[in-house]
Amino acid sequence: MKSFELVMPKTLDEAIAALPESGQPTERVRVLAGGQDLLGEMKESLVTPERVVNLKTVPGIEGHEPTAEGGLRIGALTRLIDLERDEGLQGSHPMLVEAAAAVATPQIRSMGTLGGNLCQRPRCFYYRNPHSPCLKKGGTECFSYGGLNKYNAILGGGPSYIVHPSDVAPALVSYDAVFTLLGPAGEREVPADSFFTLPSSGEVTRENVLAANEIVTAVTLPAGREAWKATYLKVRERDSFDFALSAVALALKMNGDLIEQARLTLGGVAPKPWRCTSTEELLVGRKIDEETCRLAGEDALRMAEPLEQNGYKVPMTQGLIRRALQALAS
Amino acid sequence: MAVQDSSPTTWGPREDMRLLNADVPRVDGPLKVSGRARYTHDIRLPGMLWGKILCCPYPVAKPTLDFDRAQAVPGVRVVLPIEDGLRDGWTRRLGTPIAAVAADTPEAADDALAALNARYEEGDWAVNYDQAVAPDAPKVHEEGNIRHLQVDGDEAAAQGELDGCDAVVEAIYTLPVQFHACLETHGVVVDYRGEDEATIYASTQGTFTIAADAAQILGLPQNKVTVLVEHMGGGFGAKFGLDVPGRIACLLAKEARAPVHLMLSRADEFHTAGNRSGSTQYMKAGANADGKLKGLVARIWKFGGVNRGANPGQPYIYDVPTSYAEAMSILTHTDGSRAMRAPGHPQASFAIESVVDELAASLGLDPLEFRKKNLASPVYHRQLDRAAKEIGWAAHPNKLGPPAELPDRAVGIGFGVATWGAGGRPTCEVDVRIDQDGSVTSSVGTQDLGTGTRTYVASIVAEELGLPVSAVEPRIGDSRLGASVASGGSVTTPSLAPAVKDAAHKAREALFAELAELLGSNPRNLRAKDGVVFDVEESDKRMNWKEACACLAPAGIEARGTFQRGLAGNGVHGAQAAKVEVDTVTGELRVLKMVCVQDIGLPLNRLATRSQMNGGVIQALSYGLFEERVIDPWLGLGLNNGFEEYRIAGTKDIPEIVSIIDDEDRRDQVLGVGEPVVIPGQSAIANALFNACGVRIRDLPLTRDKIINGLTAL
Repeated sequence: MKSFELVMPKTLDEAIAALPESGQPTERVRVLAGGQDLLGEMKESLVTPERVVNLKTVPGIEGHEPTAEGGLRIGALTRLIDLERDEGLQGSHPMLVEAAAAVATPQIRSMGTLGGNLCQRPRCFYYRNPHSPCLKKGGTECFSYGGLNKYNAILGGGPSYIVHPSDVAPALVSYDAVFTLLGPAGEREVPADSFFTLPSSGEVTRENVLAANEIVTAVTLPAGREAWKATYLKVRERDSFDFALSAVALALKMNGDLIEQARLTLGGVAPKPWRCTSTEELLVGRKIDEETCRLAGEDALRMAEPLEQNGYKVPMTQGLIRRALQALAS
Repeated sequence: MAVQDSSPTTWGPREDMRLLNADVPRVDGPLKVSGRARYTHDIRLPGMLWGKILCCPYPVAKPTLDFDRAQAVPGVRVVLPIEDGLRDGWTRRLGTPIAAVAADTPEAADDALAALNARYEEGDWAVNYDQAVAPDAPKVHEEGNIRHLQVDGDEAAAQGELDGCDAVVEAIYTLPVQFHACLETHGVVVDYRGEDEATIYASTQGTFTIAADAAQILGLPQNKVTVLVEHMGGGFGAKFGLDVPGRIACLLAKEARAPVHLMLSRADEFHTAGNRSGSTQYMKAGANADGKLKGLVARIWKFGGVNRGANPGQPYIYDVPTSYAEAMSILTHTDGSRAMRAPGHPQASFAIESVVDELAASLGLDPLEFRKKNLASPVYHRQLDRAAKEIGWAAHPNKLGPPAELPDRAVGIGFGVATWGAGGRPTCEVDVRIDQDGSVTSSVGTQDLGTGTRTYVASIVAEELGLPVSAVEPRIGDSRLGASVASGGSVTTPSLAPAVKDAAHKAREALFAELAELLGSNPRNLRAKDGVVFDVEESDKRMNWKEACACLAPAGIEARGTFQRGLAGNGVHGAQAAKVEVDTVTGELRVLKMVCVQDIGLPLNRLATRSQMNGGVIQALSYGLFEERVIDPWLGLGLNNGFEEYRIAGTKDIPEIVSIIDDEDRRDQVLGVGEPVVIPGQSAIANALFNACGVRIRDLPLTRDKIINGLTAL
């Protein structure tokens, strides 16, 4: 591993000061939270930063507190295992708890953080192999497109076909969460759905709008979501430890038997958490029944363009949507 | 005193045994669970250097390396080109070692590998079937890529038999290349300081398979090289001999005149430490409406990389009156296959157990009864019945397949059977020593693969001398001790345990001869039990163990035992059943329960035996559900070179396991069952999947993409 300078800031201001002055993408500096992705990337020489800024030495960016508006603000350094074990959250925001609990293994969740999970890099075979000069790493070709693409995107792909690896992100999108980003000019608020980018619309070597001189410091859930029904379901190849083949984050505001509002976000199938806006609209005013399950599944995957080996994600995701609707109906 | 007495001809009555045929916790268990057991990885020596290897990531390539730059890295002592895997400068397989370094720290060694700044000219390669058999395929072997044709039977006769069958199934079954996935990677620590002797700490399945080659490289006589195998972290057939890391470590140590620690990196372990060969098997099998198999035509392609691969042939265990099987190896530019826990058998099992299951289904017959009709041995009948009972077959509502309307969560049951030889051979020399203070030592150079060898090296002696296991000190894993076999083919126990018994028997007889004189007893009337030696006919003639041993001459007793053919058996069966649940909406498969029934002759340690059965079931489950080497055929790169992408079963994937020792096997002989218990598990799971939901998957692993696709196609 290349030697690097480890910066241990005492405050967020010190942390920001240790980042590059410019927000332009750079390999030179990386922010360390739980380290569960970054250290692996450094060991594989996928990134070779000259400086690593360790946020764990900054107090006050973990835990959660209610906001003045009745929402919930969660510090980015909150460990996933603390979200998973939080009895209050289990009652108020079960979808977030389920998503946190679906990440990797207990060992990784006891190190990994909320912010780190949102900013982790893709798991694509070709991105992770140090010898394949893929598009994601600044190369010229997405090898998964014509190569081994069983785990790759069926929605929103091109020119890169990675899938976003986060479990927590789809849940936060479905909760209409807002991310707080701190930079040299102060804080800015970005809705979860706008934080993540597609390779066709953003920088192909990145997955979000976070600038090189910014840090995600908090995630805020809006007021009232306690009254919604919500669940996060995930299919993985190996139950003990795996990223999603497909995942569904579904939140419903019910009025008796009828759906009044809906949020549906898919994980594991697109380069970003895939919000299904038209399906959400379709669900409004409907009962949860067989036909609703079928229509929702069809609509959510209507735009799917599977590659050679990942067509299975279509029926699998439709099955998960059905399971999620059934779970919230009961 | 020297011992000349006769050898034992029996293990003795089972009802008299206290420690054998009983649950005995392994003696090194506390060391292992507390992390105190010292593995080769853990060895640290004064002045020790860290060795690392650079392996070529491409199958066929011409590397260019900057040795001067690597040599200039601070802390680097030796940089060596490794050229024995190259031909005219070109590698011949993926993962070929091309350079090695030794440095003061592992970080400096890594930096030196990076400083080699490897550049590769890529050649033409063949890493899969299509590439290997293409008309213009680059040749792995100068005589071509299709090699080692074997033919067994008369194809026309078998085909004729099939033409008259009531049901015929014709299908292709495929198994991927699987890795041994030892938790301790391959490697050694060579303690050589430029003097006239060396000690090699090795993670190996054969204490006595290392010294000759190491001595040759180091330029020492073989009797100046000691090999130590205190604990080793898994082998499964891949760890024999000095091997690649051992050879390179010796070269580095010789050059540096300093000890070298060289364990393969996890990534290199995947492509230069062997694998279980892949297999594609065409099967055309026929049966009559009465459920009797009539004919089989099988064509077997083995994928062992640069090696042959393994498959015992078809129809494997089943009785097929007229069969024809041809087998050949398809060579590719990938790491050579090695022996892996029942070489070739899990592959053969999957094809025959699947085709048998498909025939039963097409004839509308109970798959359990169908199997019994085509297995001659009554042992299989009783074992299958026992497995069926434990898995709940009688109460299972869908014996002939799933109902027309699939439930959201469908449950199914499947079966499979095993066979293995597991005989013993004369090699082992065991020394049992009784000292004047009553301490007892049982010594032999054998390695313990984690199966419990160390424990029975003590417990057989303790049984014989009427002592607790803790009263016998087992000494193993040292080439200066008595010879032992390498652990392959489940032969360790049938080869070694009779020699331990022989040594213990002789030591006891020698002790009784001494005491008989002292007590005025006939030595035949003496017994050793519960720490007391006594005369069965005169109850006042008794001494406790310490008193008895205090009577010995200062030299104590030393007895050497050798292999006793009558105490070792040969040949086992085995049956397994799996119960699974399939989520028919999402394609998720979960194994709920597995049953393993295994004959083993006399179980030396029932707890360790069941533990080995559990391990076999888990390894087969992992093979069936997850494991598969992935190489991009166009880029030539291995894509799953770590335990994240190369999935092995974890705790949440492992079901209830019921491991049953078949006690109807009354043979007064010991056997090994490391191999048979790993053979049929994946076959039983695949059959259970079909039984649950009607999806027949003919290529392992049984991943969720295939299941949901199968459900969609129903």
